[in-house]
Formats: sequence, C-alpha cells, structure tokens
Amino acid sequence: MSYEVTIEPLGVTIEVEEGQNILDAALRQGVYLPHACGHGLCGTCKVDVLEGEVEIGEEASPFALLDFERAEGKCLTCCTVPESDLVIEADVEEEPDAKHIPVRDFVGTVVKLEKLTPRILGVFLQVENDEVDFQSGQYANLHIPGLDVPRPFSMAQSPNEKTLLEFDIALVPGGEGTTWIHNELKLGDTLEFSAPYGHFFLRTSDDKPMLFFAGGSGLASPKSMILDLLESGDQREIILFQGARNLEELYYKNLFESLQQQYQNFKYVPGLSGPDIEPEWDGLTGYIHEAAKEKMNGKFEGYRAYMCGPPMMIDACITALMRGRLFEKDMFMEKFFNAADAEAESKKSPLFKNI
Amino acid sequence: MPAKKLNLRKRYELLTRGMGWETTYQKMDDVFPYDSFEGIKITDWDKWEDPFRLTMDSYWKFQAEKEKKLYAVIDSFAQNNGQTNLACASYLSAIKLFITGVTPLEYGAHRGFAHLGRHFRGDGARIACQMQAIDELRHAQTQVHTISHYNKHFSGLHDPFHQFDRVWYLSVPKSFIEDAMSSGPFEFITSISFAFEYVLTNLLFVPFMSGAAYNGDMATVTFGFSAQSDESRHMTLGLEIIKFMLEQHEDNLPIIQRWMDKHFWRAYRLLGLVAAMQDYMLTNSPMSWKEAWEVYFVENGGALFEDLSRYGLKMPKYHELATAEADHISHQIWSVFCSLGNATGFHTFLPTEEKMAWLSEKYPDTFDKYYRPRFEYWAEQKKAGTFEYQKGLPQLCQVCQIPMVFTEVQTDPMQISYRVTEHGGDKYHFCSDGCKDIFEHEPEKYVQAWLPVHQIYQGNCGGPTLPEVLDWYKFKPEDSGDYIGSKDYHRWQEWKGADKKVKQA
Repeated sequence: MSYEVTIEPLGVTIEVEEGQNILDAALRQGVYLPHACGHGLCGTCKVDVLEGEVEIGEEASPFALLDFERAEGKCLTCCTVPESDLVIEADVEEEPDAKHIPVRDFVGTVVKLEKLTPRILGVFLQVENDEVDFQSGQYANLHIPGLDVPRPFSMAQSPNEKTLLEFDIALVPGGEGTTWIHNELKLGDTLEFSAPYGHFFLRTSDDKPMLFFAGGSGLASPKSMILDLLESGDQREIILFQGARNLEELYYKNLFESLQQQYQNFKYVPGLSGPDIEPEWDGLTGYIHEAAKEKMNGKFEGYRAYMCGPPMMIDACITALMRGRLFEKDMFMEKFFNAADAEAESKKSPLFKNI
Repeated sequence: MPAKKLNLRKRYELLTRGMGWETTYQKMDDVFPYDSFEGIKITDWDKWEDPFRLTMDSYWKFQAEKEKKLYAVIDSFAQNNGQTNLACASYLSAIKLFITGVTPLEYGAHRGFAHLGRHFRGDGARIACQMQAIDELRHAQTQVHTISHYNKHFSGLHDPFHQFDRVWYLSVPKSFIEDAMSSGPFEFITSISFAFEYVLTNLLFVPFMSGAAYNGDMATVTFGFSAQSDESRHMTLGLEIIKFMLEQHEDNLPIIQRWMDKHFWRAYRLLGLVAAMQDYMLTNSPMSWKEAWEVYFVENGGALFEDLSRYGLKMPKYHELATAEADHISHQIWSVFCSLGNATGFHTFLPTEEKMAWLSEKYPDTFDKYYRPRFEYWAEQKKAGTFEYQKGLPQLCQVCQIPMVFTEVQTDPMQISYRVTEHGGDKYHFCSDGCKDIFEHEPEKYVQAWLPVHQIYQGNCGGPTLPEVLDWYKFKPEDSGDYIGSKDYHRWQEWKGADKKVKQA
C-alpha cells in the first residue's frame, strides 16, 4: 500500500510507501525539500498540508511545531507519514532546470577499466536492456560487495549516453570502497547501483556564462556537464578550470584541448599545484582558484560557477569568487567528502545556506 | 488548466510589496531623503531576500500565543508572591540595573526601526523593519510589566524612564542607542541588527536569563524567553542586511567595516555592565562573564567572521583586546559601583567568601592577584566603620561614558588606560583606543555628548551636592547604599522570618 503525495508549487507527485516519511520519499525520488536535523527538532522541513490526512509523528517537537500550527494543518516532513493521498505545499523555489528523475535500481557489467592517472581509475559499466536517465552532475550509489553503505560516484559521461556509464574513482588511502574497486574489481564483474541522486545540475534556463572548477576526480561531473552543453549546441561562454598536483594527475587534458579547438565558446584552463610538477609543464601553476583569479583578473561578476572537488579546493574557490563579486545564489557545488573530511568540518555560522 | 500556484516567496512578495512604487509627483530622493548620505550604494532593491516570510496575520497569531503564555506566568507569579521565592532580595540589584537600562533600549530600538520602516527605499526592507518595530515595542511593554510587579515590593524601580535620561550609569545605554538612532538608516541597522542583535545578543540574553532562572526569577525568565523567540527573526534580519549591502556594491565594504568596528566596540563596552551583573550581582551565577565571552563571541562570533571574511570583511578592530579584557572588566565595573554605591538606584554589596572562592576559580589568573585584595580591604573598612564612598566624581570616557576604570590589560593591568585627543582647542578623554577612534572619525558628533559628570559640574543636575543630584534623579534615600540594612533587606528578612514562623506553627 502506498500513497501519492503531490508537492506544490512544483506540481510533482511522488509515491510514499506505508510507514515512510514524506521527506525520505521525496529525496529518494529526486525532489529536493528543505530539511536539516532530520528528526523533528528544528522545523526547517515545515510544510502545509492542503489536502489529505497525515500522522504528524511523535518525534515532532512542540517547539518546532507550535499548537496553532498543528491546528492549521502544518507538519514536519521528516517525521510525518501520510494516511491518505496528499497535496502539500513546501517552501521551495521552482527550479525550472530540475528534472526530478525518480531513482531506480540497475545492474551494470564492467566492460572497461582504464587507469586515468596513477590514482584515478575509470570504471565503465554497461547496462543491458535498460537506460539510465539522469541530469549531468548527478551521481549513482554503487553497492560494493561486503559493505553496508553504498558509495556515491558521479556519472562522467554525457547524459545522452544512457547505457555505457563512466565513473572516475580516486583511491582514498584506507578507504574500504575505493580500495576494493581499485584492487578487486575485474572486467566482466557486475555491480548493482541506484541512480540518479543529487541536486547538482546545470541551470540552462538563463543565459549566464558558466565557470567550472574541478579538482582531482571531481572532474567527473563537470566533464558530463560540459559534454551535455556542447552536444546540445549551447552557445554561451564556458570555461573549465581544472586543478591537479602534476601533469600525470591532470587527466582528459587531450579531450578538453580538442573540445577547445572544436567549440569557439569553450575555454580550457588547467593548472598544476605541485609539489612535483614535471619540467615540461608550461601552463599555469598554483592552486586552481589562483589560476582562475589570474585568468579573470579577479572579476567573476555575471558568471555562474559550478564547483566539484575536495572541500579545501571548494572553500578556496568560494572565497575567490566572492571577492570577485560572484555570490551564493550563483554558485553550485558538489563536495567530495570522505570520512576524514567530514570530521574536519569546522563550526559553521548561519550566514550562508548552501555553502 | 488552472493557473499554477505561486510559491511562498512569490506570494509573500505580492502580499508585502504592493506598498512600494516609483513616485512621480515627488522625486524619490525627496520621498526617501535619508538613505543615500551615508554612502551605501544600492543598485537593485529587488535583490533583497526577505529574511523571514511572516504575514501580519500569522504574526498576530504567533505573538498572541506568546503573550498569553507570558502574561499567565506574570499573573501567577504576582498572585503567588513569586518575589518571595527569589534566591535573595540582593539579586534584585541585577534586575534593577538590567531592567532600567535595557527597557528604554528596547523602546529606542522600536523608534529606530519605525523610522527605518518609513525611510528605506526598498519595500521588502521596510516591511521587515516595521515588524521589528512592533516586536521591540512589545518587548518594552513586557519588561514594563515586570518592573511594575517588582516596584510594588522593592525600591528603585519607580521611575525608570525619567532616570534613563539623567542617571550617570544609565547614560551608558542611553548614549549607545542614541548614537545609533542619530545615524543614518544603514548605520542604525548595522549597529542594532548586526553588531548588537547578531554578534552580541547572546551575551546579553542567554547567561542573564539562565541567571534569572537560577535565582528563582520566573517573571524575568519568561519575558526573556518571549523576547528571545523574536530574536531569531531579528538576527536573520541582521545577517540579511549585511549580506545585502556587501553584495550590492563593492564600495560598501570599507563603510561597513568601519561601522562594524565602531558598533562592536560600543556594544561591547555597554555589555561591561552585564559582565558585572553576571559575576557579582547574581546571587548564584550559572556561568562567568569570561566563559560566556569564550562561547558566544570567540567561538560563535569567530565562525561568523570566518564566513564573512569571504566578502573581505575582517574581525572587528580591537576584538583581541576585548578577549584579553574578559579577565578584568566585571571586577573593575563592580568596583566602580561599590565605590559610588551611595549614588546608585540599586543596592551594592561586597562579594561573600563563597562568591570570592567562585571568582578565584573562574578567574585564576586575575582575581586573587588584582581584585580580591581590594574587596577584602573594603570589607575590613566596613567592619571597622571607616569605609567611605568616593567623594569626587569620576572622569568619564567621552564616547562610552563609563568612568575611566579600564586598565592596560595587555601590558600592565594596574595602569589605568587613558587616551586623549584634541579637537577645536579642547581636550577629550577616552577609556580605550576603540572609543578614541570612534571620536576621531566623527568629533562633531561626540563633542555634543551629554556627560553626566560634566553636567553636574556645570550646574545642570539639580545642584552641587549629592542629595540635590539624587533628588533630581528622583532617587529616594532607600534606593541606594549597602544592601545589608536597606529597606529591601529588612522586608526580605520579614518575609523569610514570617515564613519560618508559619512553618514552626
């Protein structure tokens, strides 16, 4: 038994299983709803129930959801379970570019393993008799045998390619999942995965020029996004800033150089941060945000920026962009956390919502 | 197909923004004469993001539920003689200082926001300021109700608004809020919404309210919580206005930095009064001033300024000094009140042995070394009957108006920190580089400061003798002096004694 829940103002309808909370169902089906604590204390996920019956859930704190709000039909999606079909209204912006593609389960066969750099392995999965629909920038959750929690990796191929999927997987020292993929995974193996996830996608409905910042295997999403844009004939200015420590870690350089030849509106700016830069390198050196500042004269106003890579790189890029007058609403990012990064996260102030 | 429903943001914009239009009979600059002289450049008011989306309809509902709860508590406190359950009547000194100092601040904030609610050119910002103006008025009213209750039983609370305009130490909060109110609208909102409400409000409210709870003062706790539930909205407005100004134009950054430096320092100096309340005036203190400063400024404020640094904004000037002073200011300010205790509208008392042990523990580097000997010396004098209040009047800082008692904590904590500057042939004195910088940027403003000590000497305060001045303040003889032996003390003993008799019977 499941219920249909329509989310206004998006007008999207999701399926909610018996006993499942609305927030969980929405996120699983690719619809982003505001949320924070996830267990009824903060009130961030408060919505109006316009039609239908709900069970508010005992977890909802009386301080997060006041008595008169309950009487007015408000609820917290993180702990509310539908008891009929519903129409709810959430405080979300309509994202004209979000496609809300439902998550599905797939099985893929390893058809190619390519050493992209000494650290990064390209894993190519073929899906038979099915198609993986996704927006460029989104990721898949790969189920690794023996591990309880699936591991997220972004699709690196163009979204027009729906059956041969590419994942660029960096070896994390001590990381169980990536170690298994690098050491154990073989041609012909099958892997289960579910996709697509994530709120990182292209905003193409306005014509602002785009900057991409990629570090390490964070290149996967920007690569997919840039291929997506160029294949669709998009004419806006597109610049890719790609950072790596040295030349052998700077992968797909030839691909982007040839795209630059082919498309007038695309510029490719690689930069190496060292310490062991090969002597033949004659391009920019230093961190990628510094390379970008140099290239753009420190001015980023009027652009939109997409960032993908390690937290330190994203952090430095955000500051460089803001000093160059490109602010939060024009920034989109996918942080690559491993367990150590998550622990190192410093105390946050509420100044920014999405950074 | 029916038209698609608008989202909350758009609906709120439609509900609130219809009040604004481009005027044609009059020039916009004449209709909004105050929002450009400060140099803040706004290129597009439509970029204003509403910090909260509260309609008047739901605003009244929220506030009504809060008022119902608040007045139920105040009523039951009154009916059950809640004042008899306080930890000690001496605790009321803290409340007297707080409530006579802060209530008029709330009222001043109400007037300031009402002014902004008319004079900001952007209608979104006007609406937010109008709501805050109503909040501030509500806070002032709820505090007046608490004053009114305690005034029935204790001394010193009979004329707070009259006293706010005259009394020497109340000129500290008065000059703070009037400095903000006499600035332009952008500086006012930076001062009140950002520097005060955002960066420093937790230092004012959280320890103080938990202090009230610790000492059985449910009347104060409840107006505190009721006000605090509005505070989160005020804090969001504080963040939004700073982001908005910074993102609108790069030329705004140095102006905002200067305001941040100035109003951080002004608000911090004002909070020196809270430091003394927290460490000395509360019978039981839940947390020391220094601990509160570490949590609410060093940690939380540090995280905020870390994020603001992305815009190029730096930590407020002299914040390191404020952190170094956390070991000293509560002791210094309470010493001032004790030595001028014959001219305060509340009772003073020396710290007990128990309190001093607590202070030694909380201030291991400074209390025993610098301040315990002073309090012990005064205690001996009181015992011997030789204690005398200060005869002269203290020199005041031209900007913060606090007596010049702060010391050079980073070099020699026993040396008074004096700063001096000349303007128009006159000398002006300051407690710190922070206050001196503020003066030197706008000397024309601060030479006009109404300094209580100068005014007494100029003959503007009722007469040359202390009784005449106190009379002009409308202080009654029972309002001042030592707690022990005061009218409050005797009344408290009577209540507690009566309690015992009832229990014995």
